[in-house]
Amino acid sequence: MNGNLFLKNQLPSLLINFAGMLALVLFLTANGNPISVSLLIAIVWIVVMSLYGVIRFLTQKRHLCKLLDMAEQLEEKYLLPEIMEIPEKADEVVYYHILKMAEKSMLEKIGRIQRERKEYKEYIEQWIHEVKTPITAMKLLCENNGSPFTREMLAELETLNRFTEQTLYYARSEHTEKDYLIREIGLSDVVHSAIADNKYLLRQNNVVITAENIDNNVYTDDKWVRFILNQLISNAIKYRTQKPILRFFTVKENDRILLSIEDNGMGIAGSDLPRIFEKGFTGQNGRIIQSSTGIGLYLCKRLCDKLGIGLAACSEGNGTTITLSFYINDFVTGVQG
Amino acid sequence: MNHSRIMIVEDDTTIQAQLQALLAGNGYEIAVATDFSRVIEQVRSFSPHLLLLDIKLPGNSGFDICSQIRAFSDMPIIFVTSSNTDMDELESIMLGGDAFITKPYNTAILLAKIAALLRRAYNLGQAEVLTWNGVTLHLESSAIEYNGQRAELTKNELKILYYLFKNAGKICARNAIVDFLWDNQLYIDDNALSVNMTRIRGKLDGIGLTDFIKTKHRQGYTL
Repeated sequence: MNGNLFLKNQLPSLLINFAGMLALVLFLTANGNPISVSLLIAIVWIVVMSLYGVIRFLTQKRHLCKLLDMAEQLEEKYLLPEIMEIPEKADEVVYYHILKMAEKSMLEKIGRIQRERKEYKEYIEQWIHEVKTPITAMKLLCENNGSPFTREMLAELETLNRFTEQTLYYARSEHTEKDYLIREIGLSDVVHSAIADNKYLLRQNNVVITAENIDNNVYTDDKWVRFILNQLISNAIKYRTQKPILRFFTVKENDRILLSIEDNGMGIAGSDLPRIFEKGFTGQNGRIIQSSTGIGLYLCKRLCDKLGIGLAACSEGNGTTITLSFYINDFVTGVQG
Repeated sequence: MNHSRIMIVEDDTTIQAQLQALLAGNGYEIAVATDFSRVIEQVRSFSPHLLLLDIKLPGNSGFDICSQIRAFSDMPIIFVTSSNTDMDELESIMLGGDAFITKPYNTAILLAKIAALLRRAYNLGQAEVLTWNGVTLHLESSAIEYNGQRAELTKNELKILYYLFKNAGKICARNAIVDFLWDNQLYIDDNALSVNMTRIRGKLDGIGLTDFIKTKHRQGYTL
């Protein structure tokens, strides 16, 4: 509490007191009292008045500091009325009720927004569910009627499917709920499924693939990792150069298993490298390849953070290596084994 | 393994028809559930070896149908669904589903899963040898034999020959062979296919087989 401001607020009562004091002194002098009596009374008056002022200032300051402290420690500041003492002073009671009203309207608004977001997420999930039916039907139609034309369609369908999955995982990553299931999975199964998901795109672009020594087991959610790998494969295709090569391999390092996806594409500029996982960041490559959105890697990073997977990118000149590091948790192994 | 009966329970008519075409084309006998309120009766009357079951159906859900079937049959049930939530997957396993495949599925993976489940459930041994015109392909030992002479094959060579033997008499497009190899997790490209073909022909020459694989110009290969 600002002392000067407090003093300024007391100005009217101080002026009245001084006016009263002046009137009393005039009255006493007019009635023939010696000036010393008036002076004594005035001094006692001033002492009592300043004492009262100082004590009031200090107690009020302590009280408000406590309240301020409380508010600062609170994460959800609008919940302050729930934990503060109910005041006794007439004006403070009014302020307290105003705070209560603000809290209530805030809570109602948050509740409404949370409900809306949940409904929207459910709608997205349902939409994905619906849209997969025609995608599946088209895929079957194309595969049952193989021709160069349907091969191109199948490649487009793979892209379409990846975009719908991206929507789904975006909605899931925004949500605080746990939407994944950790269990023991074989990395080779996930890698091969992800390659199969992009088969026609990879074939169309003549990508040479090697996937060797990837027979490690890790504890994670296979669907999420498959989605992440799909994003990385699509990036490798998008930023390819002549004669694209894609290599999958794992390295065991202390308590981690590192799965790397290495391509020989256009690479990432050193100045862009620290920012590639930021939302909406497209960098120098984004200016060359128009379809960059800055969502894919951002989403990969978010999902990895949620699953406790390390995600790192490395690029020197040309080619990029993205590494996923899975921790081999002895505790998990102990419980499951 | 073929002539196994498979029943499709799927409410989207296009998927239903295309799935039927795909599976019938692979030698299975197919029935399609038409009345979703009487799926159980249809299952009983067709008595399939395997069931492809969608979860989201009009009326009873796939989960209900699965648990009702489990009361009288152990037939393999594959859940085929577009919802890929963990809860659905867990529930399908708890109710006795044998596999859980999400849409849009890879047909090669679906076919492989069906074949594997049928083999396991009915103890159908996989044919270990394929024969054509007196030439025998040994799948287990990865070798080809003709007139008592044997040649060892690499993984790629075996799969290429397997595909040619399976489609013996027909012309196999290069693209189709590479597709088949990719579905078997062997990622070779067109050039590598040529290299493998040359190597296979060399091995065949070595055991006295010349011109066993014929090249059809611009079309592919045939046995």
